Amino acid sequence: MPHADSGPARSRALRLAWPLGVAVAGVVAGYLLSVGLSGYFVFLAVSAVTAAIAILGLGIVTGSAGMIALCQLTFAAVGAWVVSLFNVLEVPGGFVVWLIAGGLAAGVVGILVGLPALRLRGVNLAVVTLGFAAAFDVTLLQIQFPGSKDGIPVLRPEGFSTDRGYFFFSIIVLAVCGLVVFWLQRGRWGSSWKAVAFSERGTASVGQSVQQAKLTAFAVSAALGGISGGLLAGQVQLPFASSFTPLQSLALYVLAVMSGAYLIDMAIFGGILWVLVPELLKRWGVPQDWGFVIFGALGVQALTSGTNLGQGIRNLWWKRADGRTAAARETAKADAAAHPAAVEPPAEASVPPVPAAPAASGEPALSVTGLTVQFGALKALDDVSLEVPAGSVMGLIGPNGAGKSTFVDAISGFLPHASGTVRLGGTALGRMSPTKRARLGLRRTFQQDRVPPALTVDAYVRFVARRRVTADEVAEVLDFFGCPPARTRLAGVDVGTRRLVEVAANVLAKPRVLLLDEPAAGLSHEEHLELGARLREVPARYGMAIVLIEHDLDLVRTVCSTLTVLDFGRVLASGPQDEVLADPAVIKAYMGETEML
Amino acid sequence: MLQGALAGLAAGGLYAVLAVCLTLMSRLVRVVNFSQAATGMFGGFVAVWLVTETGVPIWLGSVLGVLLAGVLSGVIGWIAATWLSEADTTTRSAMTVGPLLLLISLSFILFGNKPQPFASIISGPAFTVGGVVISQVTLVTVSLAIVVAVAVRILLTRTAIGTRLRALSERPTTAELLGIPSKPLSIAVWVVTGVISAIAIVVVAPTQSNDAISLAMLIVPAAAAALLGGFKRLDLAVVGGLVLGVLSGLVAQIDEVSLIRNFLPFLFIVVLLLWTQRKEVWDAAR
Repeated sequence: MPHADSGPARSRALRLAWPLGVAVAGVVAGYLLSVGLSGYFVFLAVSAVTAAIAILGLGIVTGSAGMIALCQLTFAAVGAWVVSLFNVLEVPGGFVVWLIAGGLAAGVVGILVGLPALRLRGVNLAVVTLGFAAAFDVTLLQIQFPGSKDGIPVLRPEGFSTDRGYFFFSIIVLAVCGLVVFWLQRGRWGSSWKAVAFSERGTASVGQSVQQAKLTAFAVSAALGGISGGLLAGQVQLPFASSFTPLQSLALYVLAVMSGAYLIDMAIFGGILWVLVPELLKRWGVPQDWGFVIFGALGVQALTSGTNLGQGIRNLWWKRADGRTAAARETAKADAAAHPAAVEPPAEASVPPVPAAPAASGEPALSVTGLTVQFGALKALDDVSLEVPAGSVMGLIGPNGAGKSTFVDAISGFLPHASGTVRLGGTALGRMSPTKRARLGLRRTFQQDRVPPALTVDAYVRFVARRRVTADEVAEVLDFFGCPPARTRLAGVDVGTRRLVEVAANVLAKPRVLLLDEPAAGLSHEEHLELGARLREVPARYGMAIVLIEHDLDLVRTVCSTLTVLDFGRVLASGPQDEVLADPAVIKAYMGETEML
Repeated sequence: MLQGALAGLAAGGLYAVLAVCLTLMSRLVRVVNFSQAATGMFGGFVAVWLVTETGVPIWLGSVLGVLLAGVLSGVIGWIAATWLSEADTTTRSAMTVGPLLLLISLSFILFGNKPQPFASIISGPAFTVGGVVISQVTLVTVSLAIVVAVAVRILLTRTAIGTRLRALSERPTTAELLGIPSKPLSIAVWVVTGVISAIAIVVVAPTQSNDAISLAMLIVPAAAAALLGGFKRLDLAVVGGLVLGVLSGLVAQIDEVSLIRNFLPFLFIVVLLLWTQRKEVWDAAR
């Protein structure tokens, strides 16, 4: 399609430019506000900006990465403490350098607190962070901020020392933080956060270290907290522990959850709410503590319903947009139906014979010897040995409970207690982690849905591919497998199609061996056949060997050149397809004794 | 030295009671209730208000406060059982952060943020061992923790209702299909643990720092203690609470390490988690 060439390039430039444009517009608006607002509101506005940056950080750790962090203002206190200390020590470089140092220090503390989180998830992390917040709060009261006893005010940056100037400065910091978060969220780190929130197994199986994903989320979040605290130190000039209590951290967490703070605009909105609600209450003569009562109640509402403001608004918007594109697609389909000549004829009318198994001369892509997995008294896999020739499709069949999925789990490294040796193209995998195996070129898909719904198809495919791929490559592989276009959001795609996207993405990763665990489950019969036809072409087209677990014998017959049959954890037969299917033992196990092929 | 350790035992008993409640909640209704201490705190404050403002007798005020704490806990449980019955532990637990925030702020509004003039229900020394005085409060909290743990264990293993509760916690859907009334039962668990926590807090509050934050944040050492039993074992939760209390008492004696005292529950949590979860690698069974 030659006419499409200039389109993607332009939209790419636009995609790079618009966040910058928004940031610049924000800074300009901030400047106008800093000139136009009255002095009292300027001070409040700085508070809103500092809160927004802290919430931006919470959005990453709680919103994107799905962990509960209840100590955001403790990280802010670390930032403020470092800024105060550098101010007292008169460290050269001025406020900007101190602020960055404060952010970095908070990031380091975040990593230290997050280190136990490497293995932990969910509620345990909430306990750890709440414990940290409580402990640090008491300690802060005892040690105080540097310079607070002698009343040494924190020096604001040169040129921004008035309240108005400082507000403008804080807006610039917010814009920079917003841009950084935007790019991180769109990049590998962002994808890894959303993936780890959905499934750790799924994340590891595409070669992304789960630990790294969690730690980066925690560190970036804490660093943003530190910057927020540093800004606050410059705002009030003499920070006190009362600005960083655990109670406020709890409120900030709740606010982040209910506003949907992983969305940058909602983080800023949350920052405004943080200041607006107490201010309104004050004007109405209501005690300001009611603000947190309101936050608490709204937080319960948000957490019970699993919704938040930002996502709610976006869902409404997307619904309308999806309606429009669906209508457009319908029209296009109708047009195509009106001109049948334009439609390509079906690729293969009759099924060609299965490509013969490649000559056994080359090194096998995957060789397994003596693989044994024991769960208690049960041997799920018992001395399994097989070879997958390079460039072939091997079918792995067997009745339910035969050990097929256990085989995939063991090969891909999720069962560290498995014994036996697995060699991937000559490299012994030993006790390597799933992440490392995936990076070496051993990929797998799951029977369950392990495709993070928070990503778009494009972001997911690029995340799984783990290499530089062009937009054309992505579009091509999606088209090849009949997946929805790259811009589609995975949340709006049914589970069967998600698993198809999973297969397509893993194929694009060009591994040596790809293990597909019932990829067709959830697809219609036609899609099922279509997938089979595509899989036949994959080895030649993308250069990899495939191990296919599948129940549909017809499909296996048309796709797989070699077969391995498992029964009760043992290899019943392994070899070229026709020989295996003719084996009486296989017939007996697979079809039952009475029924003959 | 010994005096310090035993002084910490009263707090340790409180940690142990709360830890037993947390463990019970985690086992039976799949939640780590962050507002466990906050409901007790609120009930206790209401009791103080009743006694000082309306002049009701201490015992009556305390009973009413404790009952209110049970009701509050029940309301949170009702929310969890109604809208989060199918949700995972993390989501259910995160929900309880809301009531924690709400109750602390509400108590600021109603009672101010100063420590409350709790009247002692129990006071004075119980007995003396080797020249060291054991207070009645210590005796009561420690025995309360042990009695609750033992009673709960008997209830769960020996009675019909215990069997139902266990069925509910292990196979909620199956239990419901068998006709076990899951919602009333789980709300009852919330109410009972709310009452028990409140009793412990009302007993110990006169001898502790008893502002709203300090009392609500008792959830941290309580969670640390519950972690020793992995939120599963009641006996280890009791031991964890007592050990943590004694350790805090010991550390408080030495000025040089007083900063460590603040971080003691946190360090306890981190070390325990790293130890108990050292073998846990993946988030899902498959």
